[in-house]
Amino acid sequence: MKFLILTGEGINCEGESDFVLRQAGAQTKILHVRDLLERPKYLEDFQGLVFPGGFSFGDELGSGQVLALELRHRLQDALQEFLQKPRAVLGICNGFQVLTKLGVLPFKKTDEQSIALARNDHGKFLDQWVELEVNTKSHCHWLQGIEETLSMPMRHGEGRLLLPQNASSEMKKQVQEELWCFRYKKDVNGSFDRIAGITDPSGWVLGIMPHPEAASFRVQSSKQERLTPAQVMEPLPSFALFKSILKALKQT
Amino acid sequence: MSALVTRIEVHPFTLEQKKSPMGLTSRFEAYHLQSKTKIPKDVLAEVFVDRITHQLVLDAGQDNVFKKSPSFCVEVSFKPGVTDNTGASAAYGLKSRGFEVEVSSRVVHLFYQDLSLADLKSFSESFLSNPLIQNIKIARASEFFAPERFERADYPQVNLGLTEELVTPFDLAISFAELKKINEERCLAFSDDELHFLQKTFNSEEFKKQRRLQKMPEVLTDVEIEVIAQSWSEHCKHKIFAAEIDYQETPNLPRAIGAKSISGLYPSYIKAATKSCNKDWLISVFSDNAGIVRFDSTLDLCIKVETHNSPSALDPYGGALTGILGVNRDILGTGLGAKPIANMDVFCFAPPSWPDQSVPEMNDFMPKGLMNPRRILEGVHKGVEDGGNKSGIPTVNGAIHFDPDFCGKPLVFVGTVGILPQRLPDGRTSDQKGTKVGDKIVVIGGAVGADGIHGATFSSLELNESSPSTAVQIGDPLTQKRVMDLLLEARDLGLYSGITDNGAGGLSSSLGEMATLTNGARFDLSLCPTKYPGLKPFEIMISESQERMSLSVAPDKVEAFVKLCEARNVASTVLGEFTDTGFLEVFYQTQQVAALDLNFLHKGLPKMKLKARWEGPRARSTWMPMPAKKSLFATPIKDVLLNLLATPNIASKEGLVRQYDHEVQGATRIRPFTGPEGAGPSDAGAIWLGRHGGDINGVIFVSNGLAPRMSLEDPYLMAKWAVDEAVRNCVASGAHLETLCLLDNFCWPDPVASAKNPDGERKLAELVRTCEGLYDLCTLYQTPLVSGKDSMKNDFRGKNRRGDPLQISILPTLLVTAMGRGELSTVTSTEFKSAGDQVFVIGAPSTGLKLSEVSELFELNAEFNFVPNFDGEKNRDLYLALNRLQQAGVIASAHDLSDGGLLVAAAESLMGSDNSFGLELKISQTGSNLYDALLSEGPGRFLVSVSKSNIEEFKNGLQGLTIEQIGSVTTSGALVLNQEFSATRYELLQAFTQEFGR
Repeated sequence: MKFLILTGEGINCEGESDFVLRQAGAQTKILHVRDLLERPKYLEDFQGLVFPGGFSFGDELGSGQVLALELRHRLQDALQEFLQKPRAVLGICNGFQVLTKLGVLPFKKTDEQSIALARNDHGKFLDQWVELEVNTKSHCHWLQGIEETLSMPMRHGEGRLLLPQNASSEMKKQVQEELWCFRYKKDVNGSFDRIAGITDPSGWVLGIMPHPEAASFRVQSSKQERLTPAQVMEPLPSFALFKSILKALKQT
Repeated sequence: MSALVTRIEVHPFTLEQKKSPMGLTSRFEAYHLQSKTKIPKDVLAEVFVDRITHQLVLDAGQDNVFKKSPSFCVEVSFKPGVTDNTGASAAYGLKSRGFEVEVSSRVVHLFYQDLSLADLKSFSESFLSNPLIQNIKIARASEFFAPERFERADYPQVNLGLTEELVTPFDLAISFAELKKINEERCLAFSDDELHFLQKTFNSEEFKKQRRLQKMPEVLTDVEIEVIAQSWSEHCKHKIFAAEIDYQETPNLPRAIGAKSISGLYPSYIKAATKSCNKDWLISVFSDNAGIVRFDSTLDLCIKVETHNSPSALDPYGGALTGILGVNRDILGTGLGAKPIANMDVFCFAPPSWPDQSVPEMNDFMPKGLMNPRRILEGVHKGVEDGGNKSGIPTVNGAIHFDPDFCGKPLVFVGTVGILPQRLPDGRTSDQKGTKVGDKIVVIGGAVGADGIHGATFSSLELNESSPSTAVQIGDPLTQKRVMDLLLEARDLGLYSGITDNGAGGLSSSLGEMATLTNGARFDLSLCPTKYPGLKPFEIMISESQERMSLSVAPDKVEAFVKLCEARNVASTVLGEFTDTGFLEVFYQTQQVAALDLNFLHKGLPKMKLKARWEGPRARSTWMPMPAKKSLFATPIKDVLLNLLATPNIASKEGLVRQYDHEVQGATRIRPFTGPEGAGPSDAGAIWLGRHGGDINGVIFVSNGLAPRMSLEDPYLMAKWAVDEAVRNCVASGAHLETLCLLDNFCWPDPVASAKNPDGERKLAELVRTCEGLYDLCTLYQTPLVSGKDSMKNDFRGKNRRGDPLQISILPTLLVTAMGRGELSTVTSTEFKSAGDQVFVIGAPSTGLKLSEVSELFELNAEFNFVPNFDGEKNRDLYLALNRLQQAGVIASAHDLSDGGLLVAAAESLMGSDNSFGLELKISQTGSNLYDALLSEGPGRFLVSVSKSNIEEFKNGLQGLTIEQIGSVTTSGALVLNQEFSATRYELLQAFTQEFGR
């Protein structure tokens, strides 16, 4: 399975995203966003697309705003084509913010934003490990066979999931019951229903604010104990996300 | 220009109100756009608005969101020419939609109480803006929201005025008094001796003859004198560290070193210490932007620490931001370009509560014209947050140290670790630059403005509304991130042959130094992209505009390199080429504006001759009346502990530090906070090399040490304490002593005696003694110094706020940074791991409380009023023994004893532990000895915990060294000391986190 991992223009988690996907068995290519915008057809060769964390365009004007703007106008067709197939999309942190601004999450649109990731209610960027409750009943292809609880670092200032003020009760219900993937066990930023990650109705797209790619191996654990060489690369529960999606892609 | 200026506002659907000293307040963003054509509303909405949370407002009548009816509005915007990252991002977004626009961003603050205009103005200038770089507009809400605001929008235009002459001659054939005056007016900062030397050199017939041959005017140009001034500045040439020093001392003082003449502190102590360590893992020291060491089979590591004190005093946010981005560029410019993998930051500030509102007269004694310490802390913190986070570099280690004398100048140390692959894809080694004659000079990054010309000098006070702010700058993390990504890509493609960063002195320094690689350079300043018209050649030459790097590119690679820059949104300009003429030849179009002999530029500088005199310990300066302290003996020990945990020097910085990303790149092994709840402070930061392509089990550790207060007793001791603390922190965490390298960063009050600086000889003696201490301990520990820097004029000379003359010199401060290698199997964190584990203090007992943290809070009895002993040889033996025990897996936790001594270290280890854990301490000393045992801060000691099954091996491993069992880990959830007191873990945490929050 081949995954394309975007970089450039302020994205900064491409290295660890690449590392974990390769460890999970994927073939990967880190590609500069500008190269993809120049040649959208590049996407056709890949089964997975990753929008890593970072501060695209410095997150001025709001997180993900400018990158989403460029993608919407220069990659829309290729992206829509990609989204119509059983292909995996992952947005982590800033990547999730970009997918939200584009409208890819939650409804696979590329021209209409329908939810927001707003400034945390305490107003601050925060780096801390959080416990996430997993929607074990989710149809999301990234979540199959995953433990009920995951632990990973959140590292964001704008991760408060918000539905529009006039959101219909159907939409609320859909997000709360069907589309949510992860919930913070404790409220950390004022997010709607404490939601930390969501999928789309097809289950191929995952957006998550905390960082599973920084919590996949024992060496990355927040438990800062000494490790024997055999323990270093022991998988942590978050690693199963990447195994799950590769398995799902193989079955298509 | 007949341009159209449009105002737009972005209103949130839900306007949040926050508390402020001026009552409730809320805010929204506004923008002024300057364009040739009108931009459609849907395009504006797409660029500026998150449609779920905000609405675009283009004309009056849509202001219904302000139902809560504000009373006043304050609009804050940037002055002309100041970096406006939000504006630039908006312009980029609009450009990608086909509209060429300039954008100025602004923030509107709303207030709801009825306030006095004077109060609101003073509040806005102190808390909402920095008058050096920002304009404020204050109005009653009814006026502010008048519909005309959309019709009368203005745009902040830079107006440099008309330039008559591009280049002006700088005639040295004038009287010395006149020359001195010009020297001051132009901020050239030459000393009297240097001015005499310049007059002699450039008024000579020999020089004039040479100039005629070169077809240059006989008199120097302004470009040339500015280049000499930059190159010879203390900042660039470290003249004090190179000076001839006559050192004298009063006889019979402790730790006498004897009168001596020193031929340069740098060669005599710093280089000499490194040389005597003779480590084969030193790859490049003292020659490049950063020291390079080899601890891995495929990667080399480089490390650098810089200071950015004056810029941070003037604009804390911009100063710290440009500081951290600047040291990142140092790493990018090391060897053939290293990748930053970790940031560190250490700040020294005045107490954050000063001036204490409950003591009204305190405000009178504060230095006039300087910001309050809390504001500096908040601005610097935000700058380091944005600089690190937006660059994707984890901040893994740091400290904040408070002392009243840092009111004179805040210290902001910023450091970065980088990795270099030992071999690049094309087979080149990466540690040396390969610039050749004929290679092209290429400068990349941002455009040049009047920013940072002459650095942060008092010229900033002469700013007016329409002149660009030259004293302070704001960094642009996005441009720098683009530059960083591009350079690493170009390096691996083999597209350039040499690289350095543009820091202090701008092109003058970067190209002046790179030119020495081939012995010459020729370039045309008119090719440099500028932010606005009207800059003179000398300004382009010395501008410190940020986010720029200078490279040498082989002629056959230029096309590919420039093309790659275009594809990565990075501006690049070919300015000229490297030559071997021995001259720096600078042109502006066809006119030659400088022809400077490189040998003269870099080696012509005459050495300073300075005097130093040591007269023993001194008392603290008394510029601020201090309240009386409570007696230590009369205070119950539990209260002493809770007071210590809450004092800013010891209190948890977690509330601040968690706003730094400390695990981006996915390789952080020891984070700033540790334990199941992340509440315990770590001793060092650690990065796993396996993620970066190095040894899968390899780890590098970084830590720091400083002890400015100890300089009052003896700077010789201060140096040893600083080295030992940095080393101790690294060793406690699992680094091997024999792989430790150190960095020395000196921040000093002016050590050159003069009429306005009468105690200069004492300050220079303090510098000499610090170097002695540093040398002695580095050679004993065999820890080489691989990089360092000095900052020499950290004084305030002015008035206090009631108008009396005031001088504050900072405490002489040596920051030592340590970096060392270990394995994932030696990593040791500070929190207790299991109930039942036995707790020990290892290292020689310490007595004496003079200058300790507890002495700052409480009055000491005379019997404690001495400083603890220091025995370096015992410490070294202990560190080597601890290393062996860590490798054997015997140590469950280790935490170094420092500020607050044993009692604070024990509380910290407990606070980091599982919330059910307790600690029962049994200390054998009684009476006054108990105070020493608990609170003395002598170096060379650790608090360790060991599981019962390992105790025998533990004790065997430490034979001949001092071990004292002091207690055990329990499940009581409390710290219990003898029969003295019990404090719950929660009580401890409450005190520990009250100052800076969690």
